[in-house]
Amino acid sequence: MTTPPRLVHHFLENSALRFPSKTAIIHGQKRLPYDQINRLSNQLAHCLIKAGVGPGDRVALLCESSAEYVSCFYGILKAGAVAVPINVELKPDSLAGLLDTLDAEILIASSRFELTVRPFDPSRFRLQRILVIHPATDSPGLSGPFKSLDDELPYQPDGDPDLDIRPDSCAAIIFTSGSEGKPKGVMLSHINLVENTKAIVESLTLTADDVQMVVLPFYYVMGMSLLNTHFSVGGTLVINNQFAYTAAVLKQMAEERVTGFSGVPSTYAHLLFKAPLARYRDRLPALRYCSQAGGHMPQFFKLELLKVLPPQTRLIVMYGATEASARLTVLPPESLKAKIDSIGRPIAGVTLDVLSPEGQALRAGQVGELVARGKNIMLGYYRDDAATRRVLDRQGYHTGDLGYYDEDGFYYVTGRKDDQVKIDGRRVNPREIEDVILESGQAMECLIFAVPDAYGGQKLAGLAVPVGDASDTAERVVEYCRGRLPKYQVPRPLLLVDELPKNSNGKLDRIAARRLFEERLRRGGDKGSVGIRKC
Amino acid sequence: MLKYEPEIRTFISDQYLFGEGRPLRQDESLLGAGIIDSTGVLELISFLEERFGIKIDDDELLPENLDTIGNICGFLDRKLS
Repeated sequence: MTTPPRLVHHFLENSALRFPSKTAIIHGQKRLPYDQINRLSNQLAHCLIKAGVGPGDRVALLCESSAEYVSCFYGILKAGAVAVPINVELKPDSLAGLLDTLDAEILIASSRFELTVRPFDPSRFRLQRILVIHPATDSPGLSGPFKSLDDELPYQPDGDPDLDIRPDSCAAIIFTSGSEGKPKGVMLSHINLVENTKAIVESLTLTADDVQMVVLPFYYVMGMSLLNTHFSVGGTLVINNQFAYTAAVLKQMAEERVTGFSGVPSTYAHLLFKAPLARYRDRLPALRYCSQAGGHMPQFFKLELLKVLPPQTRLIVMYGATEASARLTVLPPESLKAKIDSIGRPIAGVTLDVLSPEGQALRAGQVGELVARGKNIMLGYYRDDAATRRVLDRQGYHTGDLGYYDEDGFYYVTGRKDDQVKIDGRRVNPREIEDVILESGQAMECLIFAVPDAYGGQKLAGLAVPVGDASDTAERVVEYCRGRLPKYQVPRPLLLVDELPKNSNGKLDRIAARRLFEERLRRGGDKGSVGIRKC
Repeated sequence: MLKYEPEIRTFISDQYLFGEGRPLRQDESLLGAGIIDSTGVLELISFLEERFGIKIDDDELLPENLDTIGNICGFLDRKLS
């Protein structure tokens, strides 16, 4: 008999009761049923409790997306502790900085990070233990505070510890880089995550029949949301950490009869430009939907996807923030063509206001800051009251995104508070220019920003990642823009680069891009610089 | 040592290991070990296409072709034979 979920790990426990032998996770050759994952997570919870972990203690999880990650994540929650998934792309110095801030009791690391964490002095980070999952057999034995999780788990009971955990207590801390300043830890409670999960399940009409391809990392809030939503309905997750090999991902999607795929704009750029997606049009009959979040995706990509995706596949645009436990709005797919630039409407339990700088609610069509309220809004930033006060107040969570809603109640994001620029006295949203450049079909990604011009004002310039290798790509893009934009909106120069700077969540980093651009100009055409192609 | 292996090793070492001197096994997953990321795979493809004058089709973007030094060498053998 299952009860309505009040805590995040109830999703796993309920599905383990309802569908004990149903496959929960497919990863490589592994296929794990719900019952097995639940028992493994119980064992981890007992292991942590015996190690002295108590309510509110942080347990850091440095592990790529895998079945082990999943059992550890829920096991940490079952122990009443706070799960802190760590970005696996962090370099050792950044990892050490994060551990310094975190004050965690335990660090759990997968074998891939054994060599990274071995040199750590646990006492420096006030860590009681460092647990390594599947340590290398040829490495010297782990001793002292270093333990092999493989040695620890088999002796633990596999029953539910069934602790009394408050639903309003912190369940997870997700570090989000933003585009400036040091990373902030977003504290999300059980209520935050449970309520948002339920609302997403409702908006996507997820059921136990859903099979989700997961190419986004679980440490990213959207990845965490894929995990919780599918575990809440007893669905199946297919983990593939090798999205760069797009042909293999599509092949697996066909074989496993995947019903859902989720990505950020750059995921879809890869699928459109570096994948045999069109050739799979008839081979993905089960694919119900593709969802996109993580920033604005150009119209051109959306329209192209509608052409090449299987006819029954719906494209679902979503909008959210780590601070909102993931999701704030969803654009119903039937409205996509009519409202192609919209982020949709608030999901259940979310209220989204558009506020003036003075905090007044604005009317339809008026641009202001998007401010969200709901049970999904974070508790605050970890040990950073000042930063929390800047974004959370009586009116809700101030997203920093500017936007408006139309007469039909659909919301639109027009830029960030600090993105809009003035050129020749006229306001310009860089995204409009970026859309035109991407529409040219010559660039996979681009960023436009204002730089000082020779007359003390500003002009638009930018960086773009070309689709092909043609030496005249920049000129062709500019030519395309000239035919579609007023002169003051045409970026010059547009520099081609192999890659645009992104923050740790994979979002394009406009500030870093501008720095890269200035550095490139200072070098005055030094083609030997790393990552730069040609002007 | 496989045919093409020295060149592939040099490319990976110069572009991604930055002379760290990290030993890289012939069967070690480049993506799995965090040596390259998805952009790196695209760079690797460009390098192979330019250096060896081949065209890598989207259908060939598979780990069994590109994810280890051994796989890359085998793939080149097949493409160039």
